[in-house]
Amino acid sequence: MSAGHRGRMLPYILLSPLVVFIGALSFVPTADTTVEAFFRVNPLDPPSKFVGFGNFRALFADSVITTSWVNTAAYVVIGVVLSVLFGTAIAVALKRRFRWRGVILALVILPWALPAVVEAVIWNWIYDPTFGVANSALHSAHLIGGYHVWLGLDRWLTIALIEIVQVWQITPLSALVILAALQSVPLDLYEAARVDGAGPVQSFWRISLPMIRPALAVCTVEALVLSLNIFDQVYILNGIAPLGSSVMLQTYVTAFENLNFGGGYALSLLMTLATALLSVAALALLYRRPEAV
Amino acid sequence: MASAVRDGRTARAVTQAAAGPAGRVLSGRPARALGRIVALAVILLWSLFPIYWALNTSLTTQSGANSAPAHYYPSPLVSASYRAVFGIGGAGSGISGQLGRSLVNSAVESGGAMIVTVVIAILAAYAFARLQFRFKRTIFVSVLATLLLPAYATLIPLYRIMASLSLVNTYLAVILVYVSGFLPLAIWILYNYFNTIPPELEEAAFVDGASRMRALLQVVIPVAMPGIAAAAIIAFLLGWAQFLFPLILTTDLSTQPVTVIVAALDQQRVVPFTLLMACGVIAAAVPGVLALVLNRYIVQGVTAGSVK
Repeated sequence: MSAGHRGRMLPYILLSPLVVFIGALSFVPTADTTVEAFFRVNPLDPPSKFVGFGNFRALFADSVITTSWVNTAAYVVIGVVLSVLFGTAIAVALKRRFRWRGVILALVILPWALPAVVEAVIWNWIYDPTFGVANSALHSAHLIGGYHVWLGLDRWLTIALIEIVQVWQITPLSALVILAALQSVPLDLYEAARVDGAGPVQSFWRISLPMIRPALAVCTVEALVLSLNIFDQVYILNGIAPLGSSVMLQTYVTAFENLNFGGGYALSLLMTLATALLSVAALALLYRRPEAV
Repeated sequence: MASAVRDGRTARAVTQAAAGPAGRVLSGRPARALGRIVALAVILLWSLFPIYWALNTSLTTQSGANSAPAHYYPSPLVSASYRAVFGIGGAGSGISGQLGRSLVNSAVESGGAMIVTVVIAILAAYAFARLQFRFKRTIFVSVLATLLLPAYATLIPLYRIMASLSLVNTYLAVILVYVSGFLPLAIWILYNYFNTIPPELEEAAFVDGASRMRALLQVVIPVAMPGIAAAAIIAFLLGWAQFLFPLILTTDLSTQPVTVIVAALDQQRVVPFTLLMACGVIAAAVPGVLALVLNRYIVQGVTAGSVK
């Protein structure tokens, strides 16, 4: 092989492991999901049979599944709003340099680095109806009269408290991305605003917010994808009860506990499409590069 | 420091003297300084309280953990849960064996996935950053697009692929699935890092007669070590945290990672919370310590290319 020929082939040689991996384990499976969603697939009762939209009709007729759709919408709304809001607040608080900032930043990242399952087990203990610290602390502060059963009774309270656990984990991600964006805003913009008599609140709304808009868009999409996929926290804190169930949990139950792979495929396909559409819509709405100033 | 807070000017002088020009916790008027400290305290409380609570419970007795109102520090302070979890004194029942083995499994699976991911991502990211070839943009965009691909899209087919290859309940299946999931992010991090390295460095090596591969191995990789470390640690942390995929791909203790075992102990509803929290603390210790020690690589990796 001549040197020139090898040079031309080199990019493809370097890329071949990547293409094999992503091709075989991302693209082929996605295509498989798309096709099999229209088949009846049951590993205990082969062969597969084409059923058109049959799987989808069954999904829409199943009240547990439709409940999980509405629940997931609630998870997403709470997750996106709170993680972007808290992330922005943390980023603003850590924007200016001060002595312990590096240490505080390292500690703030911690919830992101730990396994969600372990975190959910910890929060399960915090929410415990008889011995949990949530009850104890709220009772000591006279905010509640008696101990509450927090999870599994009220649908929206259960969802909110489970989503808090996910927000706790993903907020550091938003905080880091927004912090990086805040730090890239030219300081003379703030100086100019101060000379013109703008206070800190005004310069946040007029300068910081427009400049970090791309970062906010990125955080929104990240939180959107993560909360649409919420599984670990729901598995631990809600179990398979319909009350707080998410679509990911129902996909798992449908495919791997009821062995209805066709139904699982159909649910997967709908959620993959929903994820793609919502992500693109969020980016189109939010992502604007700041105008040159 | 308390007396200094009363006088803004003294406070500023004191903190600046103590912290140098960059240190300004207490700069500005005292009210603002106080607000700042309160804000930081709230942020730290929110970030650390649940972790502290797990530690607190793991270090006390069952009756200490079940006291009402709750004890905010371990009282009585005992190491019984950790002794049981580590199987010291024969008090561990089955938990110590399960936890020990699952930690080994987690290390093999996330460590293996980290190594394979980083090697493949270095090769690919270098090609994307430095070489010109047909379909470059198409391949690059389609690889990055899988970042937005939810677990839904691949969950059932990946299980069926692994089942058809008789790979269910093997390290290999878990590692292959992790690598396919972590590659896009690793490539994004490394692509951005390679783009910050001046091409002149390699060109100097070419003048000396080095080939592309030699330049990559001997010039680019040493310079790109911080970026490679960022990709590696993030891949390892993501691997350690996985739950849903190992839940379907592993079936017994020979491959089940620590996340699956901790969830199983929780689901039994009979393991006391003192033991459960000790298991949780141990499962979280590896990623926790890594994140604290290597946090600057995480910050760099997570924010790669996000400023543009």
